[in-house]
Amino acid sequence: MASISGTAIATFARPQFAARAQVVKGFSGLKSVSFSIQRNGFPSVRLQPAPRRFQVSCAQAKPETVQKVCEIVKKQLALSDDTPVTGESKFSALGADSLDTVEIVMGLEEAFEISVEEESAQSITTVQDAADLIEKLVEAKSS
Amino acid sequence: MSWLLRRNMLPLHSNSLARRPLASPPPLLPAPLPSPRETHLWYVVPDQLKDASLLNQYMDLLSPCERQSVLRMNGERLQKGALLARALVRTTLARYTDCRVSPKSFKFRKNRFGKPEVEWNKYDLWAPPPLQFNISHTSTMIACGVALDLPIGVDIEEKQRKTRNNILSLARRYFSPVEVAYLRTLADLESQRHEFIRLWTLKEAYVKALGRGFSGAPFKDFTIRLEASNSKQVTGESKSDASRIVVEAVDHPGILMNRWHFALFELNNSHYAAVCMERDVKDPADRENNSLKLEVWRTLPFVEDECVTETAAVKNIIR
Repeated sequence: MASISGTAIATFARPQFAARAQVVKGFSGLKSVSFSIQRNGFPSVRLQPAPRRFQVSCAQAKPETVQKVCEIVKKQLALSDDTPVTGESKFSALGADSLDTVEIVMGLEEAFEISVEEESAQSITTVQDAADLIEKLVEAKSS
Repeated sequence: MSWLLRRNMLPLHSNSLARRPLASPPPLLPAPLPSPRETHLWYVVPDQLKDASLLNQYMDLLSPCERQSVLRMNGERLQKGALLARALVRTTLARYTDCRVSPKSFKFRKNRFGKPEVEWNKYDLWAPPPLQFNISHTSTMIACGVALDLPIGVDIEEKQRKTRNNILSLARRYFSPVEVAYLRTLADLESQRHEFIRLWTLKEAYVKALGRGFSGAPFKDFTIRLEASNSKQVTGESKSDASRIVVEAVDHPGILMNRWHFALFELNNSHYAAVCMERDVKDPADRENNSLKLEVWRTLPFVEDECVTETAAVKNIIR
C-alpha cells in the first residue's frame, strides 16, 4: 500500500487551485495518467490525494475504501453518476446537511462493521477523512 | 479567470466575453422591522428561477469570498442553490435598512461555532437595526428568518424526505429517550417518518438559535416535545392536540428551558419549517409565554415578493 500511495502522489501532484478548476468544469480537463488500479477497477472515481499529504505512511486509506465511501455518499445524497465524487470532495460541497451526514456515518458503520464515536464523526469533512477513519477503526478492531 | 469560471457555470450565450455592464437591479420591496416576539421568514423556490441574467445579478451581490464558495460547490444545481442562499440573505437583510444599505454592502462574520452574523459598518447619523438572521436550505427551497435583537434559528425539510436508515434506529442513536418514546407511540411508519422529520427540524432550529449548530449542541442532550393545552404530553394518538413546543435538558427533565420559543408549520405544501427564537427576559409580555408571531413571504429577489402569511402556503402552525 505504501508504494502505491507513493506513486499516486508523484503522479497526481498538482496545485490545489487547478484541482478545483477541474471540479467546476466537470473533470473534462483532467489529463489521462497511467495509474493502472484506477483505470481497471474504478472508472467512475478519480483519486486526488490532498497535496499536503506527502508522507508515504499508513495514514492514507486504500483506494477500495475511498471508492466504497464514494458509493455510499453518492447513494445517500442521490448524486447522478456523472457527478464526480473523490477523496477530496467535501461533504458540504456535495450538499450534505446534518441529517445526510449522520445517515452517511450510519451507512459507513454498517458497510464496514465499525462503530464511529460522535467526536470522530464531527471531524470528518471530506470523503478521504471518512476513509482514513474507517481504516483506522477497522485496523483497531482486528488488532 | 473568474469570468471563465462564471461562463462555465451559467447557461450564458457564448459571445458574452465582452461583458456588458449590468443595469442596476430594481429596488427591493422594503419591509418594516419585525416586532418583539416576531419572526419574518422569506423563502425562495429555486425552480421558479428561469432567467440566467438574474443569476448574474445575484452573483454580483456576493463578496469575492462568497463567490469562491459558490463555485466550489459540486455541480451546477448545488452552485445555483448556494448562490440563491447568499442572494436571499443579502437581499432580505437589505429590506430592513430603509434603503440605506444595499445587498452588496453587507459584511458578515462568524461566531466561534461558525454561525454567520451581520457585521455592520459604522454610520454617523443612523443606528443600524440589530438584525438577527438564520438560513436553511433544501434542494427545492431556501428560507431566511429574520428577528430583531434576539437569536433565531430556522430549519426546513422536505415533507417527503426519506431516510435510508430505519427511523427508530436513527432516533435511538441521535434523539433523546423521551423523543424515541414519542416516536414509538406512532402506529404506522409514515407517521413515524413525518414526526421524525418534524422533530429533526425543531432540534436543528434550536441548536442554530443557540448559535452552536449540530456539532456544538448534541441532539441527545435535550428533548423537544409537544404539549397539549392542559400541559399533558402529546402522543401519537393525540398529536393533533399539540398546542405548544417545549425544550428541556435530558439531565434536568421537567425543568423547561423557557428562554426559547418555537413555531412549527408547513410551508408551501412541500416543507416542514421550524423556527426557534430566544425570549426577551426583560419584556414582561414575553415572560408570560406569549407565542411567537410569524410573517412569511415568498420571494424571487428583484422579481416578485408575495406575503403568504394568511394563505394556504403556511399551515398547521404549532407554537
